[in-house]
Amino acid sequence: MSSFMEIFQKLGPEILTRTYEHIYLVFLSMVIAVVIALSLGIYLTRCRWPKFVSVVMAIAGAIQTIPSLALIAFIVVVFAIIKLPTIGAIPALVALVLYALLPILRNTYTGIRQVDDSIIEVAVGMGMKSHQILFSVELPLSLPVIMAGIRISTVWTIGVATLCGLIGAGGLGDLIIKGLRSIRPDYLLAGTLPAAVLALVFDWLLGLVEKWLTPEGLRVGPDSQV
Amino acid sequence: MITLQRVCKTYPNGTNAICDLSLEIAEGETIVLLGTSGSGKTTTMKMVNRLIEPTSGKIFINGKDIGRQDPIQLRRKIGYAIQHVGLFPHMTVAENIAVVPGLLRWPVSQIDKRVNVLLAMVGLEPEDFSDRYPAQLSGGQRQRIGVARALAADPPIVLMDEPFGALDPITREQLQNEFIELVSKIKKTIIFVTHDVFEAVKMGDRIALLDAGRLQQLATPVELVENPANEFVDQFLGQHRFQLSLLTRTIKIIMSGINQKTPGPDTSIPSLRLRARSSLIEALDMFKKFKKVTLPVYDGQRFIGNLEKSHLLKAITRVIGETGETT
Repeated sequence: MSSFMEIFQKLGPEILTRTYEHIYLVFLSMVIAVVIALSLGIYLTRCRWPKFVSVVMAIAGAIQTIPSLALIAFIVVVFAIIKLPTIGAIPALVALVLYALLPILRNTYTGIRQVDDSIIEVAVGMGMKSHQILFSVELPLSLPVIMAGIRISTVWTIGVATLCGLIGAGGLGDLIIKGLRSIRPDYLLAGTLPAAVLALVFDWLLGLVEKWLTPEGLRVGPDSQV
Repeated sequence: MITLQRVCKTYPNGTNAICDLSLEIAEGETIVLLGTSGSGKTTTMKMVNRLIEPTSGKIFINGKDIGRQDPIQLRRKIGYAIQHVGLFPHMTVAENIAVVPGLLRWPVSQIDKRVNVLLAMVGLEPEDFSDRYPAQLSGGQRQRIGVARALAADPPIVLMDEPFGALDPITREQLQNEFIELVSKIKKTIIFVTHDVFEAVKMGDRIALLDAGRLQQLATPVELVENPANEFVDQFLGQHRFQLSLLTRTIKIIMSGINQKTPGPDTSIPSLRLRARSSLIEALDMFKKFKKVTLPVYDGQRFIGNLEKSHLLKAITRVIGETGETT
């Protein structure tokens, strides 16, 4: 236990910087991924061409099946060919965003599609416009599902982001790589533990947000009184 | 007034949902579109608020072609209630009812007032129900809210697609009766879709019986039951002819042959009164309920005579003979 404390005392400032970098990387890629996946998911529910929907879903699914290490390597190679920066935050962000898309995209699409047909029919029949139906019916009713997607995606991204240390994007992966190269378990631990703690903390926090965003009407049971 | 002019609807897969349907619906009338599933009754109804566009033909509301109107504006002026109710689960009862008035940008105070009026109108205590969520209501209560929501912005026309279809028989009958009572007070043009011939006879001023997209007969309930226009109508009514006759024939018909005004009306019990518009079945129910041999009959507030149980039974026997029932 004492050696534990020692590691963190010695590497404390570096751990803090790397954790900050890590959160920054994850946060930025999640914001971009949410914007893309949410708008694309909503667009797909409006798309009248079912083939296009399945093609987009298949692409997002395919990206997900590429091992994360391979995806990062692939992006670096592609970036090298088209003469874009191959190290640092930019290629890392692209990889993380691509990797984070699928759960959000899928949950947005299915979340909106699963809203009861009769509810949508009545909304149209009462004279609600398409955007009114989206914002006051479909999104509130699918928010818990969409949030679940964002939560899964975030936890994954926190893990995958450690790999970005490989291409000099900073973050906790940096410590892990150092530990690996110089066979130093203290560096390994200093990178791994905070990453695990981060994943748990974000999972818990986003769980709270998910609960908070669930409309009250969906939480109440037949017997509860308001 | 709603006019359907030679309306046809063919779906992309080639099914003819509606063929050459012409119909005039008078203001304040309740018209029932009756038919089996696939008869085109729901399609017909949904064309009135442009949820479905006709392939050919035109629909006019008060002389204006609805095909040339903005569907959003059109729908906000037409009440809409369906079998699955479709209450928004994330909104309270009050918020659900307030949707269309909100879309029409009524002032908040006016909406609040309207919600309370409507809740009371459908027999739910506003204080108790306003803030509940749909998940906290029974099926019957949800359907009442569905009806209240359809009436929220006081639309002149209301479309109802089997609104009581998903309810248990007892709740359904209760809601039907309350709805008839409600409609008699609020004067709306109502298009009511059902597959239940008893509901049709009970609710409708007129019934449009549809089959395979074609209008088979357009008639008052009595005409439909007494004079089926063709073999299909005859078969559709089928084994229910006897009950339907008892439902559609009113006490008035029997009373015209009787002029028994003495002794005066029995006023000992306030609810002991038959309306001239009551059906033979309702009269029979009332005799059973009060265990009397005569019942006072009123046309509105006017006492028109006493009905003896024996007269009613004779009338029923006559119906049995006419409808060819053998008992």
